[in-house]
Amino acid sequence: MAAKLVVARLAGPRLFPLRLLPFSTAAVAADPAPIPHNSSAADDPDPVTVKGVKISGRPLYLDMQATTPVDPRVLDAMLPFYLSRYGNPHSRTHLYGWESEAAVEAARAQVAAAINASPKEVFFTSGATESNNISVKGVMHFYRDKKRHVVTTQTEHKCVLDSCRHLQQEGFEVTYLPVGKDGILDLDRLADSIRPDTGLVSVMAVNNEIGVVQPIEEIGRICLEKGVFFHTDAAQALGKIPIDVDKVNISLMSLSGHKIYGPKGVGALYLRRRPRVRVEPQMNGGGQERGIRSGTVPTPLVVGMGAACELSMREMEYDGRRIAALQERLLNGIRAKLDGVVVNGSVERRYAGNLNLSFAYVEGESLLMGLKEVAVSSGSACTSASLEPSYVLRALGVEEDMAHTSIRFGIGRFTTEAEIDRAVELTVKQVKKLREMSPLYEMVKEGIDIKNIQWAQH
Amino acid sequence: MASAVGSAPSRAEVLSLFRSLLRTAAKFPDYNIREYTKRRTVDGFRQNRELSDPVAVAAAFAGGKSQLEIARRQAVVYSIYAPKAKSVMEIKAS
Repeated sequence: MAAKLVVARLAGPRLFPLRLLPFSTAAVAADPAPIPHNSSAADDPDPVTVKGVKISGRPLYLDMQATTPVDPRVLDAMLPFYLSRYGNPHSRTHLYGWESEAAVEAARAQVAAAINASPKEVFFTSGATESNNISVKGVMHFYRDKKRHVVTTQTEHKCVLDSCRHLQQEGFEVTYLPVGKDGILDLDRLADSIRPDTGLVSVMAVNNEIGVVQPIEEIGRICLEKGVFFHTDAAQALGKIPIDVDKVNISLMSLSGHKIYGPKGVGALYLRRRPRVRVEPQMNGGGQERGIRSGTVPTPLVVGMGAACELSMREMEYDGRRIAALQERLLNGIRAKLDGVVVNGSVERRYAGNLNLSFAYVEGESLLMGLKEVAVSSGSACTSASLEPSYVLRALGVEEDMAHTSIRFGIGRFTTEAEIDRAVELTVKQVKKLREMSPLYEMVKEGIDIKNIQWAQH
Repeated sequence: MASAVGSAPSRAEVLSLFRSLLRTAAKFPDYNIREYTKRRTVDGFRQNRELSDPVAVAAAFAGGKSQLEIARRQAVVYSIYAPKAKSVMEIKAS
């Protein structure tokens, strides 16, 4: 009923939201407050002020590794389960439960199809972080009698590293393998570090900060030869590069919903059945998800994740081509106008949608503060609470000053060429402005080598 | 639409679907979704232009129609919840 009213009112050319609808209060309350009447006439109609920063509109979004917008087709699949089909999938006695369970199983099949697994091997969790926790701690706790060693890399996601640290406190041993300057793991070092009591090798497929793609096929082969479980955090890889759990010999895999244009709060864990991988559950309770993860399965979120997986399989080629072209446009656009731009991580073995750049002789915080109209990130969201430069860049051997000025541009399905051009323009302008003001840059232009200066003591 | 399930659509029907999709795309208040819907429609129809097998053509047409329904519903939802501030891409650079 209300929908018909809305459609009738929207029949005119104006697309502005109706301010009369009562049920939009929550959304309105969540909006940042518009400026009151004492703003100058020169301002745009609805300037946005958050944290003392005034911008004319919502920034253009180039932070796809932090999260992605929900695709309208995914939202369309999810909404019925918030409106009328709200049953608990574990209710066995009525239609609400049956239809909800059917939807969950259909979504499970969609996720399984995306990774070439059987639906029986897919378990829904609250996200890739939970899946990583179950993989690392769950596997090692289950096999604690025979296996006491874990091999991982220094560039893993914080949740994997923190779980490993937790295991170390319990008495397990962990080897954190270093990576090369390009961010890629050395396969010989990996093979050497695997011991007879190694229970798990955990290497992420695509890094969230620098976008490099690890050679998971070779790593899977090494793990198969040595008879060790191979876990990969594929949160950033799903739907972007083809993943086949059988071709790559993956034993465990973590997947995330909100990195593939799905909802936040849902993820999945792949556990191989042949040979069977057993884990000790981290969430105890009623035995849902075959005892691996107790708790009511959130039907709308899971349906969203399934729809997002199916969509990403259909669109992977189209999106991949576009995003690669956009990345080239971004990099060439910036390099054409600026020197001293360094790409962090391998240029060849990288996912196109993640471009991590360091700008020499520019300070990172001031660069970010000047890029208010572009939503980008420096370092990853997980480490941005501290002022320390990102541990991933440190593992690459990037110097402190370059690590501080790194910006991560995330390109996605909905990014337009106009946005890339605007981002190039704003970045170049801001970097040039900062370099104008920088005495260090003046010295470099005169030919002085900064590293060999003897600074006088005052 | 007079075409039954499985029979190939006429040229007029295909064009009508194309125009409906573009018209619905224009209704999205979100800059990125709007541009994506327009672009995906154009690229999708261009890609399928050479299809000759009537079964494939009918399947593509049916797929397009279901996408149109989804787009229509979501254009309404996005309009109801559109934020007050527009994207900086839609505001003329001062």
